[in-house]
Amino acid sequence: MKDISNKIKEIAKKLLENGQVDIFMAWEKGEYPFQTKPFFARNTEEADKIIFDEYSIHNLSNSLLKFRDRPEKIGIVVKGCDSRGIVRLLEDNQFQRERLYIVGVNCPGMKDPLKAMKNNSGFGKKTEEEDLADKCRNCMQPNPVIYDEILGDIQEAHLEGDRFARVKEIENMSPDERYSFFEESLSKCIRCYACRQVCVACNCRTCIFDETKPQWVGRESSSSDNMMYHLVRASHMAGRCVECGECERVCPVNIPLMLINRKLIKDVDQFFGPYEAGMEYIEGAIPPLSVYRENDPDDFI
Amino acid sequence: MQILNKNKLKAALNKLAETADVFVPAARGENSGFYSWKTFDQEKDELMLEALNVYLPPKNVLFPQTERMYSFQEEGSGVVIKESFEDSSPTVIFGARACDVAAIDCFDDVFLTRGYEDTFYKSRRDNTTIIANACYQPGPNCFCASMGVNPTDPATADIIIRDTGEDYVWEARTEKGTALTQKIADLLENKEVKIPELQAFSKNVEYDGVAAKLKGMFEHPIWDKLSEACQTCGICTYVCPSCYCFDIQVKSFGEEGYRFRCYDSCMYREYSQMAGGHNPREDAKERFRNRFLHKLEFFQERYGKPLCVGCGRCIVACPAGISITEIIKEIKEA
Ligand code: SF4
Ligand code: SF4
Ligand code: SF4
Ligand code: SF4
Ligand code: SF4
Repeated sequence: MKDISNKIKEIAKKLLENGQVDIFMAWEKGEYPFQTKPFFARNTEEADKIIFDEYSIHNLSNSLLKFRDRPEKIGIVVKGCDSRGIVRLLEDNQFQRERLYIVGVNCPGMKDPLKAMKNNSGFGKKTEEEDLADKCRNCMQPNPVIYDEILGDIQEAHLEGDRFARVKEIENMSPDERYSFFEESLSKCIRCYACRQVCVACNCRTCIFDETKPQWVGRESSSSDNMMYHLVRASHMAGRCVECGECERVCPVNIPLMLINRKLIKDVDQFFGPYEAGMEYIEGAIPPLSVYRENDPDDFI
Repeated sequence: MQILNKNKLKAALNKLAETADVFVPAARGENSGFYSWKTFDQEKDELMLEALNVYLPPKNVLFPQTERMYSFQEEGSGVVIKESFEDSSPTVIFGARACDVAAIDCFDDVFLTRGYEDTFYKSRRDNTTIIANACYQPGPNCFCASMGVNPTDPATADIIIRDTGEDYVWEARTEKGTALTQKIADLLENKEVKIPELQAFSKNVEYDGVAAKLKGMFEHPIWDKLSEACQTCGICTYVCPSCYCFDIQVKSFGEEGYRFRCYDSCMYREYSQMAGGHNPREDAKERFRNRFLHKLEFFQERYGKPLCVGCGRCIVACPAGISITEIIKEIKEA
């Protein structure tokens, strides 16, 4: 990985030097050895700080939204999951391909700095050290699907068994069991909306949860408002979630967001597919559930 | 000195719980926070008095995430208030760390002083007794001492307990504390024990002069750089023991309803959205800057202390690796 890290640095310097990009998005080291965090270099000197290591898990594609209305040309490093985020942004017309220089890295799988931070903090219980972050253990696309340049050896999918196994378990529960499962797990949600903020597919300019006139979803942290929040968030992800796992990774109270997302991924694939979101970028292609037709056979949504 | 042997801890909690709702630091599933002893599941939950701290602070005890204020009903052409929900039930926070107690002091400043009294907060606060658990082994992200907090001697706690390994030294500090102590008097013993020594902090930061310096830094380019990685996710404000912003909202059903307040966060765009459509903090940079100016400058100017008690939670929880101590350092160097 040291090798890849150095190559990224070189590429960043070259691009910044010859003015091909104004900003180069990658990662830098934080305070702790296991803390690798987003970093935007603007000149070759800053590019020296760039690093790519086993903790470069943070999906940078969401950060592009900060620049969607600005003129800068941006270089960005993407792993497999992150690259699907780029496809999401392009398909959603949130970014122009010409403004991007994409450096892909075939991803060997990452560790989670947040887990390591927590384990090292003395807060609560220690969990077991993991070689691979949760999100990477269900990763079917570690190799970038869109790039201008690619680094590292092609990787096998890191799937450990059926990624829908847990979804199927829940599907097989009785309605009552299922209801209490979700009531239990969603009751812990503190409604911080971090899962929305880190999500590359959550790119609406005014989010439905921020609307006040009318207010679609109540702001109480109660069972009914929490469920409403999660139902709406999940349904807005149908056919759009690129399975980057960031929402679940950052959630401060471990809500099983990927379980919910995967149910929708599975259903979209089954009923409207075969389809996996963000697996390739074809200009003008319209993904399922993104079409509006006046003569739609269904009369509601 | 008075001590409580650890074998009698559960008996003491049970005793206290007879007359109050007792909140204890505990791990529940993958999460940890302050949970009511009433809801404590002896098999699944785990007391966390010996851990450094819990991930979610005790602020929800005094300042619940969602709090009903009053209910109302339409009557004729007007509206009448049906019920006000001031909560005065006796409550105990057991085993809060000094940083979290200092954060409650900040709440007291905000909700009880300067000619404004928040009656909902006051009624809870007046009926809450705080038992602090002195810290002798600061963790890797603790820097309370740098922010003016004494980890072994939280000044405003009603009772301080000190962990000596087998026992807790039990020291009532206030009238409330003495009253509570009487309830478990038969579980306490008198014994001379050695009080541990405070270990060195691995994280220190020089906060002196930061507030004054920030006064002239509103337009400083440093904010562009510092805020760049921030995703305005709001986690830092939710896990922070001293962040107290709230919003007041309403739920109505036909002719009746209730008002409630709930946590809000300056990291959200909607937080500063004005009725006419203008938003003075449209971008992440402006919101991010506000958070740190509030913590390190505005609060200091108004109340004579920072609104950060050095618990380190935001540092641990931030997905973008943003650290308030690094920010303080950058401000100093700017
Ligand atoms: S989800 Fe896949 S591509 Fe993304 S970091 Fe994990 S292994 Fe790499
Ligand atoms: S699911 Fe997690 S990240 Fe999302 S709002 Fe709830 S607590 Fe926050
Ligand atoms: S919903 Fe979660 S997994 Fe899906 S794109 Fe958003 S952050 Fe990634
Ligand atoms: S937790 Fe970090 S990324 Fe989230 S709002 Fe706070 S500083 Fe920004
Ligand atoms: S700002 Fe961070 S370190 Fe300071 S009190 Fe809040 S959570 Fe703790």
